[in-house]
Amino acid sequence: MMTKVIGYRLQVIGLMLLLCISMMAQSNLTYEIRVASDDPVLLLDTFPITYQAEKVNISLYEGKRRCVCEYSTYDSLDVIFARDNTPAIRAWGDSVYSYTDEYEVTWTVWRNSKESKNRTQRVLVQNGRNAFIEYVVVHTQKPSHVVAWMGWILAGLLLIAGIIYAVFVFYRRRAERLLPSAQRETLRRKRVGMRRHIGSQLYLWLLLLVLYAPIALIAVFSFTESKILGNWTGFSFDLYVNLFSGRADAGLNSALVYTVVIALIAAVCSTLLGTLAAIGIFNMRARQRQVVSFLNSVPMINPDIITGISLFLLFVALGFSQGLATVCIAHVVFCTPYVVLSVLPRLSRMNPNTYEAALDLGATPAQALRMVMLPELWPGMLSGFILALTLSVDDFGVTFFTKGSGGLETLSTFIYSDARKGGLTPELRPLFTIILLVMLSVLIFINIKEKKKQK
Amino acid sequence: MSKFIQIVSSRRTWAWPYILFMALFVLLPLVLVAVYAFTDIDGHFTLRNFAKFFTHSEAISTFLYSVMIAVFNTAICLLLGYPAAYIMASADYRTPKVMAMLFILPMWINFLLRTVATVELFNMCGLPLGEGALLFGLCYDYLPFMIYPIYNTLQKMDRSFVEAAQDLGANRWKCFWKVIVPLSLPGVYSGIVMVFMPTVSTFAIAELLTHNNIKLFGSLIQDYITTTDLLNYGAVLSLVLLVIIGVTSFFGEHDAKDDQKGGLV
Repeated sequence: MMTKVIGYRLQVIGLMLLLCISMMAQSNLTYEIRVASDDPVLLLDTFPITYQAEKVNISLYEGKRRCVCEYSTYDSLDVIFARDNTPAIRAWGDSVYSYTDEYEVTWTVWRNSKESKNRTQRVLVQNGRNAFIEYVVVHTQKPSHVVAWMGWILAGLLLIAGIIYAVFVFYRRRAERLLPSAQRETLRRKRVGMRRHIGSQLYLWLLLLVLYAPIALIAVFSFTESKILGNWTGFSFDLYVNLFSGRADAGLNSALVYTVVIALIAAVCSTLLGTLAAIGIFNMRARQRQVVSFLNSVPMINPDIITGISLFLLFVALGFSQGLATVCIAHVVFCTPYVVLSVLPRLSRMNPNTYEAALDLGATPAQALRMVMLPELWPGMLSGFILALTLSVDDFGVTFFTKGSGGLETLSTFIYSDARKGGLTPELRPLFTIILLVMLSVLIFINIKEKKKQK
Repeated sequence: MSKFIQIVSSRRTWAWPYILFMALFVLLPLVLVAVYAFTDIDGHFTLRNFAKFFTHSEAISTFLYSVMIAVFNTAICLLLGYPAAYIMASADYRTPKVMAMLFILPMWINFLLRTVATVELFNMCGLPLGEGALLFGLCYDYLPFMIYPIYNTLQKMDRSFVEAAQDLGANRWKCFWKVIVPLSLPGVYSGIVMVFMPTVSTFAIAELLTHNNIKLFGSLIQDYITTTDLLNYGAVLSLVLLVIIGVTSFFGEHDAKDDQKGGLV
C-alpha cells in the first residue's frame, strides 16, 4: 500500500515539476539601453566578443538636422566589454564634425528584423574628426515569444497526458482487482521492468537531446542566409553556395586550407616518428621502456594550455619565428604519443622472430622493415594516423599559443577570433553541418557493416 | 659501415629520434616554464614572481574559483554520466554501440563553434549567461569523457559477480553499491581525471560562454603569457597549474593507464 502511495506521489511531483519548468521558460525579459560612458580611454581596456543584435541604428542630430545614421553591426559597430564587464556596443563614424558640441543621439537596436527599442539622449561629442565614440549598454536578453508559446503548449500537453494517464491507471486497477493475486503479481513485475526500461531510454535520449541541441541549431540555421546565428530570414542554400564557390570570407578559406595542410603534415610526421619509436620501445629492456613510456605519457597528460605555453616559451627562448613550422612541430608533439600507443599492441601481437629471420636471410634492415614489419603494423599505423588527424584538426589550445602573429589561422583559432570580434562567419554553419553529416553517415555505414558481419 | 648496420638493426635504437624529439619539445619546454618562473624579464634569478602570486588576491581567488568550478563540473558530469554509462552497459540494453557513437559524435564539431551555439541557445531561451551557462557548457563539452571510461569498465566487468551477489540474497540496491560501484571505480577515476584536468585549465570556453564576465585560471594565464613584460608572471601561474595537474594525474595514474582517449575514435 505504502509503495503504491509513494509511486503515485512521485508521478504527481514529476508532473508538477515539469509544469513549473515549462512555466519558468516564459519569464519576461527586457532590453535596457543606456549610454554608458563618454570616456574614450575606456576603449583601451575593452575587448570584443560575440553579439547577437542584427542591426543597431544610431542617429545623430545636430539641432533638428540628422547628421549620421545607421551603422550596422558588420561595418562600423563593434561589441565590446567595458571595464565593468557590461556588454556594450562601440560605434565610430567617419563623418567630420568641425567643432565640439552637444548632439542628440538616438539609439535603435534591431533584433529579428523588428525595432526593439530606441532612446534619445544628448551626448557630448569631443574633438573634430572621428570623434564620435560612444557606448550603448545593451542587455541582450530578448523576450522570446516562441519559447513562451512553446512553454504553454508543453504545459497544456503535459496536463492532458497526465489526466489521460490517471484515468487509465484508475480503470486498469479496477480491472486488475478481478484477477487472482499471483497473476496480478506477474503483471506488476512486468510493468516495473517496462517502466524501468522506458525510464532509462528516456534518460539517454534526453541527455542526447541536450547534447545535440546546439549542433541542431547550427545545422538548422545553415539553411538561411542571415548573418547572425538564431535569426531566421527564410530558407535558402546561399551559404552552401558561398562556401563552395569560394565567395565566403577569405579568412575562412585560408583557415580551412591551413587546417588541412597542418593536419596532414602533423599526421604523416607523427605516424612515421611514432611507428619507429614504438618498434624501438618494444625492443627495449623493461627499465628503459618504463622511462620512455613515462616520457610518452607526458604530452597526453599535459593540458593544451600547458603544452602550448611551454612550446611558446621554447620558441621565444630559441628565437624561432612562429608560424606554420612551429604549429606543425607542436601538433607532432601531442599527436605522436597516440600513434605510439596504437602501434604498440600490434607489435606485441606479431611474431618477434620474423624480422630476425628476414635479416638472417640477407635482407637489409630497411628491406626487413618494409617487407616484414610494415604489413603487420599498418592497421595500427592507420588508426594512429586517423587519430592524429582528428586531434590536429580539433586542436585549439596548442595552436593558439604557437601560431605566432603572422596571420596564420586554423579553423579553431579562426572561430575563436571570429567569436571575439562579434558574430561567426555565417559560412561556418554549412561547413560544420556537412562535417556532421559525413561523420554521421560514416558511423551508420560502419554500424551496418558490423551488423552484416555478425549475421 | 658494418657497425652502423649493427646499430640500426638492433631495433632498440629506433626510438632514439623520438626520445630526442621529446627531450627537445616536451621536457625542455617544461623546464623552461620553471626557468621563466624563477627569472625576471632580464633573465636574472628572482623569487619576486612567486611573491607576487601569493600577494595577488585576484590570481589566488581566480585559481580557487577555477578549481571549484572544475570540481563542480566533474561532479555534475559524474552524476549525469554514470547512469548513462550504467544503462548502456546493462545486459539487456540492445544498442549500446550506437548510443556510444551518438555520444561521441558531437566531438567532431569544433568545440568553440558548439560553445558559440550554446550561447545563442541560451539567448534564444532567454536564459542569462552566468555561472549556470558556464557549468552547462563545460559539462556539455566534457560529458563524453566521463561516460566513455565508465562505460568501458562496466562493460568489461564480470557479470558473474553480480549474479553471485543476487544469489547470496543482496537486493538491487545493495548489489549496486557493494558490487557494481566498487568494480567500476577504475573507470570512474579515469573519468574524473579526464574531466577535471581539462576543466581546471580551460580557457576560451569560459570567455565565450559568459561574455568574459567570469574569468577562469586558464584565461588569466592566457592574458599574462600573451603580454610580453608579464611573461614571467604567466610562467608562475602555469607552474601552479602544472603542479595541480601533476597531483591529479599522480592520483589517477594507476587507473588511467590504459588509454581511454584512444578508444574514442
